[in-house]
Amino acid sequence: MSRKSPFSRLSFRIMGEKSDHLNLARGRLVLITAFFMLCYFVVGARLIDATIIQGYLSQQPDAIGVDDQKKQKKSDAQKSGFRADILDRNGVLLATSLKTASLFADSQKILSPVETAKGLVQIFPGLTYGDTLKKLQSGKRFIWIKRNMTPTEQEAVLNLGEPGLVFDYDYHRLYPQGNLLSHMVGYSDVDGNGLAGIERSFNTLLNGSKDPLRLSIDVRLQHILRREVNRAISDFTAVAGAGVIMDVNTGEILAATSLPDFDPNRVTSNPTAPEMFNRVTLGVYEPGSVFKIFTTAALLDLKRTSFAKTYDAINPIREGRFTIKDYHPEKRPLTIPEIFMVSSNIGTAHMAQEVGTGNLKKAFHDFGLMTKPDFEIEEVGSPIIPNPWSEINTLTASYGHGIAVTPLQLVGAVGMIVNGGVRVQPSLVMRDKEGKKSDSGIRVISKETSLKMRQLMRLVVSNGTARKANVAGYNIGGKTGTAQKNVHGRYVADKRMAAFVGAFPMNDPRYVVFVMVDEPNPNKTSYGYATAGWVAAPAVGRVISDMVSILGIHPRRDEVDISEPLKQFIHSVKGEH
Amino acid sequence: MAIFQSSLFSDEMSLLGKVRQIAWSLVFFLFIYATIGFLSLYSAAGGHIDPWAAPQMSRFVLAVGLLVIIAVVDIKWIFRIAYPFHILVIILLLLVDIFGHIGMGAQRWLDLGIIKIQPSELAKISTILCLARFYHGKEVYEVKQLKNLVMPVLMILLPVGLVVAQPDLGTGLSIVFGGVAMLFVGGVSIWLFAAGIGTAIAAIPIAWQFLHEYQQKRVLIFMNPESDPLGAGFHITQSKIALGSGGITGKGFLEGTQSHLNFLPEKHTDFIFTLWAEEWGLLGGLFLMMILGIIILYGYWISFRCRSQFARLVAFGLTINFSVYVLVNIGMVMGLLPVVGIPLPMMSYGGTAMLSVMVAFGIIQCCHVHRDARLPKGF
Repeated sequence: MSRKSPFSRLSFRIMGEKSDHLNLARGRLVLITAFFMLCYFVVGARLIDATIIQGYLSQQPDAIGVDDQKKQKKSDAQKSGFRADILDRNGVLLATSLKTASLFADSQKILSPVETAKGLVQIFPGLTYGDTLKKLQSGKRFIWIKRNMTPTEQEAVLNLGEPGLVFDYDYHRLYPQGNLLSHMVGYSDVDGNGLAGIERSFNTLLNGSKDPLRLSIDVRLQHILRREVNRAISDFTAVAGAGVIMDVNTGEILAATSLPDFDPNRVTSNPTAPEMFNRVTLGVYEPGSVFKIFTTAALLDLKRTSFAKTYDAINPIREGRFTIKDYHPEKRPLTIPEIFMVSSNIGTAHMAQEVGTGNLKKAFHDFGLMTKPDFEIEEVGSPIIPNPWSEINTLTASYGHGIAVTPLQLVGAVGMIVNGGVRVQPSLVMRDKEGKKSDSGIRVISKETSLKMRQLMRLVVSNGTARKANVAGYNIGGKTGTAQKNVHGRYVADKRMAAFVGAFPMNDPRYVVFVMVDEPNPNKTSYGYATAGWVAAPAVGRVISDMVSILGIHPRRDEVDISEPLKQFIHSVKGEH
Repeated sequence: MAIFQSSLFSDEMSLLGKVRQIAWSLVFFLFIYATIGFLSLYSAAGGHIDPWAAPQMSRFVLAVGLLVIIAVVDIKWIFRIAYPFHILVIILLLLVDIFGHIGMGAQRWLDLGIIKIQPSELAKISTILCLARFYHGKEVYEVKQLKNLVMPVLMILLPVGLVVAQPDLGTGLSIVFGGVAMLFVGGVSIWLFAAGIGTAIAAIPIAWQFLHEYQQKRVLIFMNPESDPLGAGFHITQSKIALGSGGITGKGFLEGTQSHLNFLPEKHTDFIFTLWAEEWGLLGGLFLMMILGIIILYGYWISFRCRSQFARLVAFGLTINFSVYVLVNIGMVMGLLPVVGIPLPMMSYGGTAMLSVMVAFGIIQCCHVHRDARLPKGF
């Protein structure tokens, strides 16, 4: 093995070609290195450009200026009542601020009071000559003549050529949709303070911002819903009604109506008037049989029972001074699908007994029925829960008596049950596109229970009390509820609340549609009935058949009816309720 | 031990002497660079050592060990294995392509049971070693001859074709670029390069046809990112916003809002430079670029200093490969180049990249340790 050291200086004596090699390679190496350095400096310059010139410097002085301007604008805006627009989910204007002129007079500058008074009375028929003249001669420096003139009126005033007439510009809040969304959007006063609905709860934000606020509402669906609730009210000469459409996966409220309503452009009513009352979020009602959805879901989720199991539905349950009985007793034990389909109170009460008070309360709590819900507007009512909750409360609450919740809670809870069992938060503000999927991930019931509940709810529409809600090809499911109204602590036999909560398509639900009618009266077409199956269910059916065409949802006539497997548990039933 | 030494480590220098010869200051700069990476990964995870910073740190410790071992290996041994290694890598690439097609879409990994390797990473190194070996044996006049261009071009195009077929266009291009730069330093006639560049420009419209639609889109978006700020231009627009929001001194460690609020995509891989620059500002960005510049210039200096053509070309090839990645990545996040999905080597999260960079620097160190060694012309 050679012992020659690699460090011997011999290497420096390499001549000729070898050295050419070396020089060539080194020369080109330097060239490449220089080229790299050049690129590197370009990138470095770009870094300075990106962080300082484009980012920092171009923003900073400007940003300060913009901030100042914003502050300026903001205080201006607050003085003059400017508020940001409110839009629906598709950008339709729901509330906007329009710059308008108001007229006041400085009587010390009025040259000819008589002429001016004559002219003003001509322009504004609401003024009287005598009054106006008196004001103009009063010597006061500031007299309101007319707020929020039209441009034509303003032109006419200008043509009077009177230097003592002065314009003050401010913003006037307009609600182009009129009554359509009175309770949800709410309204504000002349000074730009929100007094109800979103206008009130987002008051600071709307005053401080120029960016519009986008609600989850879809004006087209809102229009359909309001029309159909209105129609149900007038068909059955009812006193009031409410309706909600919710996206079950995001919790977004797409439409919500409370009737009677009011025109937010001209609020004249007392705040306690019936039309000012928000029945969707503030009103709490005994929901009646609709609540059987939650009792049944609680039982099925315990996985202790099967559809085939029968419950006594013959003998009325007596508990203390109460008796639970059915309107149309079947006189035989019923399976769970039968109980749900014919809406048997006795059967459901027995099911609730099996669930147990603790489990039932926990389930109701999980569905968000026991606590005041969080919602974007402030007019939200607290549910009325029996306190203390005794055994009889478990039995009556199982079919929706002795417990009262808001329609908002009801819709939210049904949404969770049909969407696969995941918690959703009803919301009035549009979600970002990314939040489309229900990602709360909080499970309230198992997927399996959700499927079973959808089968049961479909059964109610295909074979049960809500056949009038059916729309061919859309697999609607739901549950009716007719509750006697409790007036001053007494149940009144002929005053009812008829409600139907539906969801579709039952194979993979996307929307919950709820309609409630307050004190419907029987009419000829309903053969003397005023129950939910005759009043609320058809209204929901009409809403759905119209909304699918707007949302572009195609009918699926080929799809299997998911309630079909339940037919084996149904033995001759007559129920029409 | 003795036999082992004679085959791997013995070349008239004691092992200790070699360890002393290692350019420790370069190791130190690599350490600073890696630390910047750890800090960024820690921040990317929202101030947590998991899931990125911790594995990256342990890999670095391992990789430094590997670097030292490779640095003291006899360069003759590397010289000898250059050809067989390249052939082996080409076989591995073939295997990946074959099994990749049986599997799904783009398969870049080869599962050897114990470890998974990415032969395209190996191909970068093997191509460089192979070319260096080839040019080491050639005289200047030989290099200028056209017939001696056939082999090197094959050495480059064979692995590149297989890598691009995976498909991994980015790695393929980086091998081509490194290879061409080596041909240049190897001494191929300047006129050939002029002709080559001319042909390449002429071929752009044809090559365009062969690009996937998403690749075409990336280039078009690069020309005008604002045309689709929420779609394909999203990455680059967000990156620029994040850079701009950092300002001179940055928002502070763990305070980068654009990155932490997930406006910035791929913040722990391709866009990690942006995350760093948002939090540490222009000064931090320049500091990082300075460290990288020192590392790269050090590599070129080592190459310059090498006495044998083989070591010189190896050190040069590996350095230019590293600098191309750095330039392309930083250029990309600043919107100077299209989004090509190339990571910032070693700083971006990823084990293979970390190891391959450190192995490359191990070989560069080896060239440095043996800078005055003389190698035989032939085998």
